[in-house]
Amino acid sequence: MFFHPGANTDLASRLAGAITAIFMIAMFFTMMRTGTTYRWRRWFFVSVGLLFPIGFIHNVMVMRGSMGIPIEEMIAGRTPFCFMPIPLLILPAALTRTVVFPGSIVPGGGMSGHGIAEMVGLWLAITLVVGKGWCSYACFFGGIEEGMAAIPKRPKIRKLDPRWRYGPWAVLLAMVLLSLALFEPAYCNWLCPFKAVSEYVAARNTVGLIQNGIFIVLFGALVIVLPLLTKKRTQCSWFCPFGAFQSIFNKISIFEVKIDQTRCKPCVLCQNACPNLSLSKESVAKGEALMSCMKCGACVDVCPRQAVVWHIKGTEVAWKPERARLLFLYGAWAMAVMFGGSIIAQGISTILHYFA
Amino acid sequence: MRPHVRYLSAFLGARLLGYLLFGAVAWELGKLASLLPGPRLMLMGAVDVSLACVLLWYAYSARQICGHSCGDSKLVEIGAKKNSGAVGAAALGLLTGLSLCPPFVAAGIRASQLGSVVAALLFFACFFVGTSIWFVPLAGMGCIVRNQAVITVARMAMVLIAVYYLLMGAGLLLGRKANGY
Repeated sequence: MFFHPGANTDLASRLAGAITAIFMIAMFFTMMRTGTTYRWRRWFFVSVGLLFPIGFIHNVMVMRGSMGIPIEEMIAGRTPFCFMPIPLLILPAALTRTVVFPGSIVPGGGMSGHGIAEMVGLWLAITLVVGKGWCSYACFFGGIEEGMAAIPKRPKIRKLDPRWRYGPWAVLLAMVLLSLALFEPAYCNWLCPFKAVSEYVAARNTVGLIQNGIFIVLFGALVIVLPLLTKKRTQCSWFCPFGAFQSIFNKISIFEVKIDQTRCKPCVLCQNACPNLSLSKESVAKGEALMSCMKCGACVDVCPRQAVVWHIKGTEVAWKPERARLLFLYGAWAMAVMFGGSIIAQGISTILHYFA
Repeated sequence: MRPHVRYLSAFLGARLLGYLLFGAVAWELGKLASLLPGPRLMLMGAVDVSLACVLLWYAYSARQICGHSCGDSKLVEIGAKKNSGAVGAAALGLLTGLSLCPPFVAAGIRASQLGSVVAALLFFACFFVGTSIWFVPLAGMGCIVRNQAVITVARMAMVLIAVYYLLMGAGLLLGRKANGY
């Protein structure tokens, strides 16, 4: 953060970097000291979620004066790439060698950032290690709804139909098929709630207005209102297609959450604590979390009998769970510092420059 | 596997019928390239809205599917009645066969330039074979249909896709282009 080539070196940027470094070190130290994960990780994650739009929107306003992407920028391949469309690109690329996202594979200047190849490479490297832990340590959008879910003391809606858990898979299936049929990133064009806090295609006609209306409605409902009512990450649990895609990589990652049946007295505290509805009565009886587990640590921290544990595949359940947690956190936190840390630093730098 | 082969056959058969109808009309009229945008967009809009309605009906009727894993294939028919599944599959096949995507229109123009209606029908039959190969593996997917999670995901996905086609079709019918750029 201090010595990134080309980064600002003025006082505000250095101060932002210092604040971020202290914050990240403090959070990790507290995780180690207290033996808990979820609350400290959530502080980091909510900070990323709140500061990312600040830094990003500031950049787009400086570069082009508007959050709307002109069609000329898209044609020139200068659309910034985020990780969400990755699953939509696979089939068109495999079948026709076409990248359906209007961005640049290599750094292309303007707002195109580091290019698609670098983003995909980073994502793959991180995901192979942490699996769906990406959704707890790297996603720069999930912190918004996690912050909203943390505000109320108790949920107003407690009974949630478990079938909504299949929503992300349905959105993934529909978006993959539409992207293949239409040769466009269908999720980005029609359903991404986070367009409301980042950027969107400039609305020049009724279709554009409808699209932007959908983004705002989905953001309001899934990211603000429902998390406040349910105390769950409803966008992640019920909608995000990228999250469903990441769930597949939980089968590859060596880290997971298990339940020691010798200690468990089914008190459902872990099920209630899980922000992603990844624990059900059936899965607890089997001694494992569902494949949608984001490895946030909420269930582990809340269990009064230490029955829910971190686990490395291939070892016995409850074999040195603290070691498993540490090994997971070293990788996840290193990635969090690199990814989320730079987002936090940029957001703080933007705020400090505003007041400087 | 038998009911799935039946549904797939109904779907592909109706789709082939749609292709051949289009091929015959394209050749007979010979005017596809100069078909006025207004009527063409109206036709596309009507097909999109119809496709959306069929998908929504399918998603609604699929709520009665039993997710038992026993071997009786009658338990996993889509739709309440035994034969309504094949009718629905045929309707979907016909509507997707008539759906005027750009490659389809290009093929129609090509067919309209051929020497005889038989050549045009043969051209579209080959077009159908080339685009239908991807459906063949679906016939063997009966085992996963019995999983309740798969049924739920499929229903939700149908609704999402139906909403998309409804928006597109409504936009065309109201005189707007589907793609505003």
